[in-house]
Amino acid sequence: MENASVLESRSRRFAGKGAALADRLATVAIWFSAMLALALVIGVIAAILWQGLGTALSPSFIFGKPEAMREGGGIWPMVVSSFYLAVLTLSLVLPLGVGAALYLSEFARGGRIVRLVRFGADSLSAVPSVVFGVFGMVVFVIYLGLGYSLMAGALTLTLLNLPTVMRSAEEAVRSVPNSYREAALAMGCSRWEMVKKAVLPVAMPGITTGAILSVGRIVGESAAVVYTVGLFVRKVPWSPFRPAAPMAANIWHMYTEGALVPDWFRVASGEAAFLLLIVLVLNLLARTTAGLVRKKMGYRA
Amino acid sequence: MAGTVSAIGKEWLIRKALLVSALVVVFGLALVIFFMAKESLPAFTGAGPANLFGSVWDPRQGRYGMLVFLTGTLTTTAGGLILGTPLALGLALFLTQVAPRRSRSLISRAVELLAGVPSIVLGWLGFTILVPWIRRMSGSSGSGILAASIVLAIMVVPTITAISRDALEAVPPSYTQASLSLGATRWQTVRGVLLPAARPGLLAAIILGAGRAIGETMAVAMVIGPASVFPTSLTSPTHTLTTKILMEMGESTGVQRSSLFAMGLVLLVLTMALVMLVRRVSGGESRLMVAE
Repeated sequence: MENASVLESRSRRFAGKGAALADRLATVAIWFSAMLALALVIGVIAAILWQGLGTALSPSFIFGKPEAMREGGGIWPMVVSSFYLAVLTLSLVLPLGVGAALYLSEFARGGRIVRLVRFGADSLSAVPSVVFGVFGMVVFVIYLGLGYSLMAGALTLTLLNLPTVMRSAEEAVRSVPNSYREAALAMGCSRWEMVKKAVLPVAMPGITTGAILSVGRIVGESAAVVYTVGLFVRKVPWSPFRPAAPMAANIWHMYTEGALVPDWFRVASGEAAFLLLIVLVLNLLARTTAGLVRKKMGYRA
Repeated sequence: MAGTVSAIGKEWLIRKALLVSALVVVFGLALVIFFMAKESLPAFTGAGPANLFGSVWDPRQGRYGMLVFLTGTLTTTAGGLILGTPLALGLALFLTQVAPRRSRSLISRAVELLAGVPSIVLGWLGFTILVPWIRRMSGSSGSGILAASIVLAIMVVPTITAISRDALEAVPPSYTQASLSLGATRWQTVRGVLLPAARPGLLAAIILGAGRAIGETMAVAMVIGPASVFPTSLTSPTHTLTTKILMEMGESTGVQRSSLFAMGLVLLVLTMALVMLVRRVSGGESRLMVAE
């Protein structure tokens, strides 16, 4: 690579005038687009936090009771709904996704099933979230009779997130060196024992990272939950079969029916900033925990 | 350890359980397609395809045309790609060719963060800042195709950047070194060697960006209008397929509700067609999830 950059600087010196000018212009354009993109990221994050962080960080907002008509309401039931939904969804999607990944990388023999599963995953990951939303409404809310509930939302989001979780788990599982598998098999392990003792522990950091990142996606998902979970609740939904209102859906509620609450702008901005903060923290967490889990596993493996 | 009958039985059982969890995606996809088709059947029998794909949406008059919304989806997607693709490709070139080594991971992380911003949050930002700004600039309502395209551009940049960066990195360094050693400048090398060599991957990146833009709902819904008519300018309110479904599903029944499901079916067909296209372009096995 060092050689390449030496070549680059030399080549510009020897190139014709037009070519050298084009090279300079292109470099400027590329730098410009990178800086514009970076400014965009910083601008978006700063604007959201600037609008709502003051509200989001006050305990009376996060832990407060929501108001349906008056101003000064909090969002505690929505905070609980969001995380409840994430836990429910993860408990469904993680076993399925990791199981599917293990099947694809450790057990599958025939190419046909693998191809079918990959096609299914690719296609499912392209389905728009609002389609998942109305599908979940028809199947889980109405046909299965779950009503607007955390469970209906979790089932919907399980389908929505399954391709991503599966993909990241498969990546983690496939990154385990083959020598680990061979060693386990040589010790007389069966295939499942090999997976349990040699593959899964080593793949765990990668799987954990994927799981943490999917929490961010679940908490931030809105189009798939407005018709499956609900938009607004006054009380904390302790049962998964009760209507709830994740923050993301509640922002939509504030946008559409906002005029009911005088300070709807404050509430929605606060929720938006809080959501963004959660996503940022999860991103940071995903990086650090991967390292931590790896360290911990390092002693055992 | 192994070898006893029960151990073999357990092994068989686990194998089958894992197979079943792998097949859930296939089953889920089939279920989604089946129910979207089933729910949109009354629209096809009650209103008819000519009515459904007409250009007038007026349920009280029995007109369920989705052409306005299809147009909205296609124009906003095109707008998002036109604004976002150059930025994303520039960024990918920067990350692979130009950037000082130390700043590379920092910048890719920043772009990943942008991918993580929930679409409802981006929509809220569009509604509170972008739309008022366009309103002041243009003197119109501010919401419309322009605002939606800008928001979509922000959403497709991380997708296109990540996948095209992978495609550029996959080009063997010997290719570019050969070009540089022949005396070509860096830009000549990029244009003449690097971009052509990475073409299938770059195309896949743009198609996947299009898929993301077509399916985007919340962020667009907050800046698009809403209005069920063709837009008269880039800054006049209209609807896309996703936003129409989102806004009317709650309060519609009968054929009207069913025609919203038919719009969902059209979205499904569009996005699945893009998936097939990507598989074609990138030669079978595709890596769709890079940016997520």
